Amino acid sequence: MKLMRKTALVMAAVPAIVFITPVGSASAHGYVSSPASRSAQCARGDVSVDLCGQAKYEPQSAEGPKGLKNCSGANGAFAPLDNDGLPWKVTNTGQTLSLTWTFTARHATRDYEYFIGGTRVGYVAGNNQQPTNPTTHTINLGGFSGRQKLYAIWNIGDTVNAFYSCIDLNIGGGGGTTPPPTTTTTPPPTTTTSSTTTPPPAGGTWAANTSYATGSTVTYGGSTYRCRQAHTSLTGWEPPNAAALWEKV
Amino acid sequence: MRRLVIAAAVLALAGCGGEAVVPEGQGAHGHGASSAAPPVPAASARFNDADVMFVQMMVDHLQLGISLSQVGLAKATTQEAKDLAGAIDVTQREELTMLKSWLKLWGKPEGDGANLHAAHGGQPLLDDKVINETKDKSGTEFDQLFLNLMTGHQGAGVEMALTEKKDGMNPETTAYAERVVNTRQGQISQMLKIIGGA
Repeated sequence: MKLMRKTALVMAAVPAIVFITPVGSASAHGYVSSPASRSAQCARGDVSVDLCGQAKYEPQSAEGPKGLKNCSGANGAFAPLDNDGLPWKVTNTGQTLSLTWTFTARHATRDYEYFIGGTRVGYVAGNNQQPTNPTTHTINLGGFSGRQKLYAIWNIGDTVNAFYSCIDLNIGGGGGTTPPPTTTTTPPPTTTTSSTTTPPPAGGTWAANTSYATGSTVTYGGSTYRCRQAHTSLTGWEPPNAAALWEKV
Repeated sequence: MRRLVIAAAVLALAGCGGEAVVPEGQGAHGHGASSAAPPVPAASARFNDADVMFVQMMVDHLQLGISLSQVGLAKATTQEAKDLAGAIDVTQREELTMLKSWLKLWGKPEGDGANLHAAHGGQPLLDDKVINETKDKSGTEFDQLFLNLMTGHQGAGVEMALTEKKDGMNPETTAYAERVVNTRQGQISQMLKIIGGA
């Protein structure tokens, strides 16, 4: 009875919500940030953009219908996330694993599900509430061991869709001890390609992904700039584009 | 009443899809000449609804990011996170000044960002309440929460900027959107490495 009344209330609210919700976009997005899911590894640059595609820019948008067992949500732009052959980093873990989700928008949540193969090893109810900050779950890996792919699924409460994240695991034997370093699946770091691909700009010594202290000077495009505030440089924060960080001298 | 306002805003935004041009003689000039601040890059006068919507939404988005970065600057325990918070704070203030000047030039209001967000896909990650709640945390718990929220917030900024790159027409605004994509992606990369360990 109580439930009925609640449902009636929700139903009454629906017309107004529908009215202001654009068609076809859930725009409640999320992914597992820790341990680094495949999406997070794309955004971190651990796996290069050539391999990752759109997941580098929108790790939160591997969205698809509920009920899938994949990493992309069967969303074509994110297909590389389904490719087990890419150089994904593998997280060593015992039987207990804590995971943290990062969201770009809050949205009513039906629940979270975690699968290894066809086995559901974790379930957390969402009660159609907005996610908490932060959202961290501790799950038991159900006796699985060795190299496994964990599907982490965020089922949205008020759309038909879910968001998919995959985490590559090497699950150690009992007791959560760190397994021997037999993780030959982890290839030599490819980070060098991603973090140093930005060439130094012509005629300057400013470079992206470099830590600059307040007061240090660089040249860029023939001019000299002094760092106004300590930061790690980024593409888009070139001195002429970031007067808040660089003062022309 | 509030719904009516939202509805009106949505209709206005969804309305024409046309473009507008600021009349001659009202061109923007960086008004930095008289102050110590560097001149604000002006936007050209030809723009469409997507440009206006993006800039209006970004004004609200930047302000929330600035509020959160200030908490991060005050409370983060690692220098790396503090530096990033400080850099986000100052660069977004600079962007905010620029975007407000563009709206003024275009004769458009700053608008109600929260309603705009609601109309375009639901609850933004951040609001004043969420930001205030972070102040109750401390130590590594604060760091994790701060970095996670900022990562998500900047990720939402990337989504908005990608939409602008697709639908906008004003060259300065689409160029700014490109910088938003790059700088936020770079920040997200830095933060994810702190969150998950490099």
